[in-house]
Amino acid sequence: MNAHDLASLTPEIILAGGGVLLLLLEALLPSLRRAFTGIALVVVAAAVWGFQSVPSGASNLGALDWNGPVRAFAFAVLLSTGICLLASQGYLRREKILSGEYHALLLWSACGALLLLRATELLTIFLALELLSICLYALAAYHRRIAIGTEAAIKYFLMGAFVSAFVLLGIALLYGETGSTRLDQIGAAFALSEKFPIIPSLGLALVLAGFAFKMSLVPFHAWSPDTYQGAPSPFVAFLSVAPKVASAMVFIRLLQVAVANPEMIGRWSGIVAFLSVASMIVGNLLALVQRDIKRMLAYSGIAHMGYLLLALVVPGANSIGPVAVYLLSYVLMTSGAFAVVTLLYARAGEQHQISELSGLGFRYPLLGGCLAIFMLSLGGIPPTFGFFGKYVVFMNAVTDGRWGLAIVGVLASLVGVFYYLRIVYTLYMKPESRLAAETSSGLLIDGWGRAAAILAAVGILAFGVWPTRLLEWVLGSPWAP
Amino acid sequence: MTTFLDLLLGDTLTRLVFLPAAACLPLLLLPKGNAKVAKFYALLVSLLELGLGIAYVAARWVPGGGFPLLRDVAQGSGVGNPPGLPWIGAYGIRYDLAIDGISMPLALLTLLLLPIVFLVSWKGIEKHWRSFTAAFLLLTTGILGALFAYDLFVFYMFWEVMLIPMYLIIGIWGGERRVYAAVKFFLFTMAGSLLMLVAILWLAFTYKSLAGVWSFAYQDLLRLDLPLTTQCWLFAAFALAFAIKVPMFPVHTWLPDAHVEAPTGGSVILAGILLKLGTYGFLRFALPLFPQASVKAQPWLVGLALIGILYGALVAWVQVDMKKLVAYSSIAHLGFVMLGLLAFDLVAWQGALLQMVNHGISTGALFMLVGMLYDRRHTKKFDEFGGLAAVIPIFSFWLVFSTLASVGLPALNGFAGEFLILLGSYRTLPWATVAATFGVVLAAVYLLKMLYLTLWGPLTKEENKSLKDLSWREMFALLPLGVLMLWIGIAPGTFLAPSRPALESLLGDFHARVAETAPDEPTLRALAPILIAKPNPAAETATSQDGEGR
Repeated sequence: MNAHDLASLTPEIILAGGGVLLLLLEALLPSLRRAFTGIALVVVAAAVWGFQSVPSGASNLGALDWNGPVRAFAFAVLLSTGICLLASQGYLRREKILSGEYHALLLWSACGALLLLRATELLTIFLALELLSICLYALAAYHRRIAIGTEAAIKYFLMGAFVSAFVLLGIALLYGETGSTRLDQIGAAFALSEKFPIIPSLGLALVLAGFAFKMSLVPFHAWSPDTYQGAPSPFVAFLSVAPKVASAMVFIRLLQVAVANPEMIGRWSGIVAFLSVASMIVGNLLALVQRDIKRMLAYSGIAHMGYLLLALVVPGANSIGPVAVYLLSYVLMTSGAFAVVTLLYARAGEQHQISELSGLGFRYPLLGGCLAIFMLSLGGIPPTFGFFGKYVVFMNAVTDGRWGLAIVGVLASLVGVFYYLRIVYTLYMKPESRLAAETSSGLLIDGWGRAAAILAAVGILAFGVWPTRLLEWVLGSPWAP
Repeated sequence: MTTFLDLLLGDTLTRLVFLPAAACLPLLLLPKGNAKVAKFYALLVSLLELGLGIAYVAARWVPGGGFPLLRDVAQGSGVGNPPGLPWIGAYGIRYDLAIDGISMPLALLTLLLLPIVFLVSWKGIEKHWRSFTAAFLLLTTGILGALFAYDLFVFYMFWEVMLIPMYLIIGIWGGERRVYAAVKFFLFTMAGSLLMLVAILWLAFTYKSLAGVWSFAYQDLLRLDLPLTTQCWLFAAFALAFAIKVPMFPVHTWLPDAHVEAPTGGSVILAGILLKLGTYGFLRFALPLFPQASVKAQPWLVGLALIGILYGALVAWVQVDMKKLVAYSSIAHLGFVMLGLLAFDLVAWQGALLQMVNHGISTGALFMLVGMLYDRRHTKKFDEFGGLAAVIPIFSFWLVFSTLASVGLPALNGFAGEFLILLGSYRTLPWATVAATFGVVLAAVYLLKMLYLTLWGPLTKEENKSLKDLSWREMFALLPLGVLMLWIGIAPGTFLAPSRPALESLLGDFHARVAETAPDEPTLRALAPILIAKPNPAAETATSQDGEGR
């Protein structure tokens, strides 16, 4: 390892070190607990600042990668970490579980997500995946006193462990057949093979399935509604986005390997199109019937990953830009929505019924307004960032000549509008229920939480109106689809 | 190089469009419980906006000629240097606002109705005044933007921006079944506009494959010559979106619900402006972009317009609720406008444009009067009224006056519009025009029935005997509309002249393209003449000054 490799790891080192620091502070100076959120935020900001010292291109023996789109993905992960931290403080204080471990685990899982999306080598991918996942399992069970939380964590853990085994098997198959764990070399081996490479394709499919699980694509989605429902709400602001962002990057890298052999493009396109359409349809239809807002957002997240895959049906150099833009919009609106849910629901261990929001739009104008903006953005209604994200993804499908898929996407998002709108009308058009009035006494709405909601809402509106610069920034140069 | 900020601060369409949206921000600072401050603030902003709008138009008015096509950023109308500011460069989307004789009257009507809406809502709206103000201001931004947009993507954005505020206005401040009405309104409009979005993308994509660059600009997409089948599909998508908004039979069912449940101010804007955006969309986009398809669809659409006229009139006749009657009368009146547009004749188009404004004025006034009665008695049912003429004479005068304007009494505005539509349509659609004339008769029947049941007859109800007549505030709100009804009725020429050249060149281009046969493969034409044609030299200098001035 030389200085170049070390500089390349700056953001990860800052995050991991920040986690250790917080753990030490918890042990040595527990009276500082109230400041932990601030410290963790500084660490995250420092990690973002550390991006600039990362040299472009491959590093660490070709195990890690860094370029414009990767930076956008990494930024999305840290953005969700920041929103999650802002939303957490009030929740942890209210539930009396404020401690350093929570922040440390969160920073470490962000570190894992960062490594995962930069990794270009299968073992690094696996290690990063485990670093990310194990922290997530622990965080999902963080609220120990809640039965539903433990149940959620165990479900997530069992399925996740199972999936890890599949990923390992896939890696073994790939390595056994191609003799390398580096994706570029595997891609080269694929390109050279004359007949259909059955065993490595099987291996690739197993690894892809593992990341489809992390992205909660249908049919690997079953864990997400249960886990989101039971896990601590502010943590879901991270869980529902960061692993998806990192996994989406791995997904893209694996697909690029798969289509290195031009004869296989058709088969993989078919698989991705199936995953996409199934996720859009199942996610949207099941979200329609949910009464619990966290479950609804979980299914909506499934549908959104389906929209995202529209850009990857014909994986190519052009696909990554739309995916990055879409993920940034998805991070802002989903993390923001969970941040508001954290603040507006007082009882952590119970269902988060949508009807409890009745009339709260006027009682809490700021949070209600933010939640309404998130819902409109998730529904893809202009002038929000969510509309623009959908637009670039659908446009990518259109330029690939997939009109049918784009129209399925448009129709699916029309279904989506219906349930997102239900939140808006519950907020503003239903009279405030007595239950809501009772509940509101137990709420703890702090400045940090408000900041999280405002940050996300302002971002959504700003990028919805003026996305030009963002696009240029994401790809590092003016971008032409 | 002009920037957006320059536009926002200068005397431009951009300022007109975004001032209302920007005026929402100070609302957050206003005291929470004090509705009075919010009310005066709303009135002040809307009057300022109206003043700016009138000043903008007056400064560029060419006496005797047509109102010119004016762009916010006019530099270079040639190929390679398109007008407008780059917005989303990767897709060639440009922020391009322009006004011409077609959008100018509708924009002025929007600005005029805004302060009136706040005046009539003064007492009727009891809660959440700050949000109420914000919703209407955002709605105004959406309407003006959609009227001025010359880039189809920008148009779509503004078109959708109108949706949310109106949904909230109906859903929060509406009547008993408000949520049902609001959701119905939203889903109908959204379904239509998503299909329109797909059609817009298709157009831009076809342009890209022919010209090599992305563009959503109106003048670029007008250059597309598409095969007839493609045209028909795309026209269907556009027409559906606009027909839902107009609304045409059979996608009109959201309208009675939305109108009945909406608060008075919401109904005024809905009937006055939002419905017109449907007919405006036909005139500006659907017909010129797909001329051959429009001719092909003409018999079907004329049939639907006629059904709208007659069905709307008959259903209005049997209503027992005043507001519902006025709502159905809107369907009938907009049927006339659609008939005029589908005649593809200059006189009919002039009449249709005039009638769009007329309908906004007289139906707006009728909704306000129904609302004023509702504020007093909290009912809109005919059997609760009768004999009001003796109790509240000023109100009765205004109701009679607005009704007669709506019926189309000569020397009031409705007559001029309807007459021109019928005159123009008779040249190209004689039989349909004859059928539509029955609609005029029916309009007299149901509107006079409304007068009879409310104002005349015996005064039976005890509660009605102590009704208060119109206040100064209410009269002040009605006065500008009354003046316009009379003015347009007496001197319609003043109102027809500004839009004539714009309509003429649009129609000329339309007929020229219809005369050609549609190609088998998509092709690109030379730059569309309607956008290079300058109405007169004075306008040209005004435009170039516009470009250099900032």
